[in-house]
Amino acid sequence: MSLILIVEDEKHLAEGLRFNLEAEGYQVQLAETGEAALELLVSGEQTFDVVILDVMLPGKDGFTVMSELRQAGNFVPTLMLTARGRSEDVLKGFSAGADDYLTKPFDLSILIARIRGLLRRHEWLRTSLNHENAVSTSPKPRDTFTFGDKSVQFDLLQLRVREQTFPLTLMEANVLRYLIEHEGTPVSRKSMLEQVWGLHEDTDTRAIDNFIVRLRRYIEDDPTRPRHLLTVRGLGYRFVAIPAKKD
Amino acid sequence: MVVAGRRKSIAFFIALGAGLISVILLLYIGGVLFDWRSGILLFLGILLLTMIISGVVLNTAFLVREIRRNEQHDAFINAVTHELKTPVAAIRLYLETLQTRAVDEPKRKEFYGIMLQESDRLLTTIEQVLRTGRMGAASRKPNLLPIDLSGVVGECLARARILHDIRPESLEYHPGPPVTILGDLDEVRAAILNLIENAVKYSGSDVKITVETASVDGKYVSLRVRDEGAGIPRTELKRIFKRFYRVPGSLAARVKGIGLGLFIVRSVAKRHGGRAWAESEGLGRGSTFVLQLPIAK
Repeated sequence: MSLILIVEDEKHLAEGLRFNLEAEGYQVQLAETGEAALELLVSGEQTFDVVILDVMLPGKDGFTVMSELRQAGNFVPTLMLTARGRSEDVLKGFSAGADDYLTKPFDLSILIARIRGLLRRHEWLRTSLNHENAVSTSPKPRDTFTFGDKSVQFDLLQLRVREQTFPLTLMEANVLRYLIEHEGTPVSRKSMLEQVWGLHEDTDTRAIDNFIVRLRRYIEDDPTRPRHLLTVRGLGYRFVAIPAKKD
Repeated sequence: MVVAGRRKSIAFFIALGAGLISVILLLYIGGVLFDWRSGILLFLGILLLTMIISGVVLNTAFLVREIRRNEQHDAFINAVTHELKTPVAAIRLYLETLQTRAVDEPKRKEFYGIMLQESDRLLTTIEQVLRTGRMGAASRKPNLLPIDLSGVVGECLARARILHDIRPESLEYHPGPPVTILGDLDEVRAAILNLIENAVKYSGSDVKITVETASVDGKYVSLRVRDEGAGIPRTELKRIFKRFYRVPGSLAARVKGIGLGLFIVRSVAKRHGGRAWAESEGLGRGSTFVLQLPIAK
């Protein structure tokens, strides 16, 4: 089921949109400010399939949110939905990185059609990429990393531990991949932020710790005494595929 | 970018004006030192010089004002566009929803309620804009009739309580002795509603508003609307009454408005021979708006 984020501070509009999109079978989440939307999108806790973004928001406006999102390397399909319909506004929206632009008041069926269009384009891109991969490198080994009785299937975004399967979010998978690529060597929080999230500002690096806590819950037998995902004090983390025998 | 460009042109023209004046002064002083005896020429020169200087000063002042006004105009157009189109968008969205989907009874009722609220909002914006237009037309004189002020205030408070769902203790009214004013009922009501509306809007979630009336020297009656909300910086206390003006910053983005409410309040006060002003200890410390109108003899 596709997950849609609506960034809109007008409650009535936001609720009306939510009602309709849910009726269409989409999952919907609301954000009232640009800051809240950026946090949701950049943290990567959830992967949104489409974002509907208003321009006149309290705090950061839609144009700013759009360009900051793209700078952070998040290319989620985004439709800007706003009362401002002058050509300079539309152009500003597209140059900030929007995929589509619709002015209020809008026709509900057209809005839904455009959302479908964005989702479809996304889907086509994914299939064509998969197809290319299949043609060029078949039979390509699965994008999987196995350690002990656990294996991470990056292409399927899941983690198998013995008989159990845990779904991973895209960001969780990326964090794990980054740690695995540097197996055995300590990785700083800052470099993770830069390499995985594409952030270069002095963002609070503690956000990463939440990811690690969640990952430990999946891959550690006892999350309070980690053996694979070790903390390197004052620096960051280190991944160990085959831990030394317990004493 | 546009704003930065305008700032630059304001700075440029002020510098140009100042430069021209100083060049003229220098030339003139030089001239006087060389030839101080010709009295008539001196007199004519001073006259001419004063005219040139005042011309340059006036030109610069008007230019700066025009640029400022343009800037506010843009902001106003954006705000009005938003305030007109958003309710229409919401009403349209809900109508289409009701038309195309199966909606159960409670939801249906909720949707009707939302549409009514949004159409009220739309009407309020339209009325504000039309009223501003009427106020500007000098030919339209207010239709003056004796009004019982506390009655109008009570009516406005009742409306605000229903509209914003405010508990009576959050919006208190301390009426002074009853007074009758000579006024245009529609205009006076609009002014009072605007003041209460503002107090609610800028109070955030914790609304605490006191409205009181008192007579001043037996000649005037003053209506004070006090809130404990966002407050106003000292430098902005006068400007907020200007047409289209909104205090720049994050508050203006968070609280929706088109910058006409206080302009209407002040216009109504002036048209009735009274005045209106604001008092505030500063940001975050609440504010008081006073509307003073003459008492009917």
